[in-house]
Amino acid sequence: MAEAKTDLLRGTLDMLILKTLSLQPLHGLGVSQRIQQVTGGVFQVKPGSLFPALHRLEQEGWIEGSWGESANNRRAKYYRLTSAGRRRLGEEKRNWAQVVLAITKVMEAT
Amino acid sequence: MPAYRRIISTFRSLFRKEELDRELDEELASYLELLTAEKIRAGMSPEEARREARLELGGVEQVKEKVRERRVGAVADTLFQDTRYAFRTLMKNAGFTVVAVLILAIGIGATTALFSTINTALLSGLPYKDPDRLIVGLKTWDGAMSGPVSRVDYFDYREYGRSFEELAALATFTVQHTVMGGRRPELVDAGYVTWNLFRTLGANPVVGRHFQPEEEMPGSTPVTVISYGYWQSRFGGDPGAVGSTLNLNGTPFTVVGVMPARFRFMYDADVWRLVDREGPFDTERDSHSHFVVGRLKPGVTLEQAQGDVDAISSALAEQYPDSNAGKALLLAELQSFMVRDVRLSLLLLMGTTVLVLLIACGNVAGLLLARGERRLSEMAMRSALGASRRRLLRQLLTESLILTVVAGLVGITVAYLLQGVILQLLPIGELGMERPVIDSAALAFTLLVSIVTGLLVGVIPALRGTTTDPAQQLRSAARASEDVRSSRLRSGLVVLQVALSVALLIGSGLLIRSFAELSTVDLGFDPENLLTGQLQIQISQYPTTEERNQFFTSLLEEIEALPGVVSATVANRLPIRSRWQDWSIWPAEQPTPSPQEDFSAMARWVPPGYFETMGIPFISGSDIAATDVPGSPYVIVLSEGVVRALFGGSNPIGRMVNVAGWRTFEVVGVVRDARINTLRREPDAAFYMSHAQMGPSSAQIAIRTSVEPTALVGPIDDLLLRKDPNVLFSKVRTMASVLDDGVADFRIVILSLVLFSFVALVLTAIGLYGVLAYHVSQRLNEIGVRMAMGASNGDLLAMILRRGMLLAGFGLLLGLAAAYPGTLVLRQLLFETPPLDPATYVGAVGFLGLVAALACFLPAWRATQVDLVEVLRKE
Repeated sequence: MAEAKTDLLRGTLDMLILKTLSLQPLHGLGVSQRIQQVTGGVFQVKPGSLFPALHRLEQEGWIEGSWGESANNRRAKYYRLTSAGRRRLGEEKRNWAQVVLAITKVMEAT
Repeated sequence: MPAYRRIISTFRSLFRKEELDRELDEELASYLELLTAEKIRAGMSPEEARREARLELGGVEQVKEKVRERRVGAVADTLFQDTRYAFRTLMKNAGFTVVAVLILAIGIGATTALFSTINTALLSGLPYKDPDRLIVGLKTWDGAMSGPVSRVDYFDYREYGRSFEELAALATFTVQHTVMGGRRPELVDAGYVTWNLFRTLGANPVVGRHFQPEEEMPGSTPVTVISYGYWQSRFGGDPGAVGSTLNLNGTPFTVVGVMPARFRFMYDADVWRLVDREGPFDTERDSHSHFVVGRLKPGVTLEQAQGDVDAISSALAEQYPDSNAGKALLLAELQSFMVRDVRLSLLLLMGTTVLVLLIACGNVAGLLLARGERRLSEMAMRSALGASRRRLLRQLLTESLILTVVAGLVGITVAYLLQGVILQLLPIGELGMERPVIDSAALAFTLLVSIVTGLLVGVIPALRGTTTDPAQQLRSAARASEDVRSSRLRSGLVVLQVALSVALLIGSGLLIRSFAELSTVDLGFDPENLLTGQLQIQISQYPTTEERNQFFTSLLEEIEALPGVVSATVANRLPIRSRWQDWSIWPAEQPTPSPQEDFSAMARWVPPGYFETMGIPFISGSDIAATDVPGSPYVIVLSEGVVRALFGGSNPIGRMVNVAGWRTFEVVGVVRDARINTLRREPDAAFYMSHAQMGPSSAQIAIRTSVEPTALVGPIDDLLLRKDPNVLFSKVRTMASVLDDGVADFRIVILSLVLFSFVALVLTAIGLYGVLAYHVSQRLNEIGVRMAMGASNGDLLAMILRRGMLLAGFGLLLGLAAAYPGTLVLRQLLFETPPLDPATYVGAVGFLGLVAALACFLPAWRATQVDLVEVLRKE
């Protein structure tokens, strides 16, 4: 069960990160805390999956990192969405809607 | 993601790896700090908060590794690692690397050198557009191949044929023309072609244009297209040559175009002029002196085109039964027609090259196998530490690929050196061919060969080197014993190498024997100390036969008076120098035979003394006499071949013969047949008429000398200049060099083969040596024990030698078995040498055996030099 949960997470983590960053720039810890908070603790993003995903997204050019000061004056790397990332998020949203619709149809079939 | 960004990030992650890693470190540290601060704010003590945060983060190194793996350039990164590692390992084993690279470099270099030679000298011979649509047409009688086509028939095929985009024709020979004007008159070879020949071939002039259809009409202005070479020599490459006038045999021709430098079709020509409906050759349908060349319409097959011309042939046969009954036109692909003579040589050379490269591969594969054994424990260690088999395979293949690519680079140098040797040995430059250079095609070839070689030599050792169970291997790694399977594999490789070498040696041996036969073949005349040249006098200066005869007679007398000259003579065509001109001949009392049944022989006209000067022996009767001049009865000397064909065994002296239906001659003498056309043909039947009775204005001159023939070129030239400055004396060559040309192609094949056999032999010797040396090094313990037990040096020597000679012996047997079917392929190239020539076989086996013994002796001798104490202490 736990395995299935991470699989789902793996497939959608990119999308969740992009969505989270579309609201405001955040540092790594901020991203994982925000996701945990919004999903009511269902998704807990561990650093082992968070950082590879962040770096991957940055290399793809969808997010951009820059060093800045945190709320309590500590140095942290903040990520924000690029315009390419915004487009990407749109695509992912559409795909996700299709997947959800398809799964719902299957599950509700009588 | 746009491609450029991907490329940029790939490069970034490759070259800024350290920077990225540092940044990741910082980021993770800041993450930890933020998390700790968070937890302190939630009420934990600082120490507790720090510990909790560490736990939550997990292993820093693991996170970093995961990030690295997901980077875009990850694949390139491991490749980079493999390459760096491979270089390090190769550098560490410098000895091994140098030997392997050198062996491969020799193999690859030789292959490249030969490839570029073949590529320029032989392969690029057909520089025509869409060569697969080009066809050649040859005449057949009742289905049997017969050769050239009649000009008159050709025009019918051109007019009624529907399968051809173009159908062109050219005379089968060139005709010498005198070019007047300029500083001195000179002789050029003119090719007669139809207007569309160049168009058919798709060969365009570099300057000007080619012929136009209306220029073929009788009465139109004479035009000519000239060769690049003649453009250079006569006009100095001036583009203004187009449009200028060239006086050929007294007629002004307008130059309309210059063909490209390498353009050549069927034969070399200096200028081209037009064949038209009036001639000059084949005035009738029963005279045949043209090649037909055509370009098929797109989509038309050779069979369809053949059907098309067959219909025309039958229509012609019906309309002109006297000349065309049973006559047809056979179409063939031009490409296969043109390369028919060299194809076998090409295949042979290519095959040889591949064999040599295989032998080199065998050596390096053997080396890699041996090294693989030594590295088994390293591989086991790496696989125990978690490297997958795929990763290890990739690592080993990267190593062998680096080895071969480096070898390829060195090989290019070897190729340059070898090519120098090839060019010195082969008369390629003299033949007017483009000098082969190692060009981009050759370099691409080298690269391809290197990579294929790398995979070839790498795969088996890599598979072998990574199969063993690591646990077992680590346990036994300390013990240095010879791996039986691997050693068998290497012995098998050496046996194959020996087999290939002996087959190569036998092949080149047979060719060398043939070459020797060819060089010492009885020509039927004496080619030594014979200077030959071309003579042409201006017919306007000597309008009558008497004047021309007078000129030649007095010239020969004056030349014979020169010091160093034994005798001098002329002929319309000298043996080997000029071929063919075969005319039909039959006993005068018989009716004219039909074209299918007639007997023809080489027609020559010669002055008295010709046979003596040339060294052609008389059988019976007498020579042509000085009194056999115009007005006196026509006489003829026959060669034995003609006598046999015409009169059986009976004495022909005094009989009358009819030559080509032209006139009858009285037979006055019989001489031996001589090789007139080529060395490889049996001696040709020929008949000799009186030079004076023919009264020509041109002839080939032959001067028999008692000194080096070339020493007389100057004196004869001076003499001619004094006698008549308008006489053309050109194309002066010794008969020996003419003969050399005849075997030039053959020599290319032989020298390449010998060179390659030598390389193969050296490589095989190295291979044998390597296997035995390794064998000895692995059996040091055993040898030490044997020594301790009292084995003598002789025993040890015999033990190692026996093993080496066993391998060589197997290889020899295998090679002998393979050589026989191989030499059957050669048969066509052999000359009076049977494919099973015992001397060659014995020689090749003996030579290889000797080399093998030498290669085996060194390791065997080493075995006897083992320091007993040293070995036993190690144990």
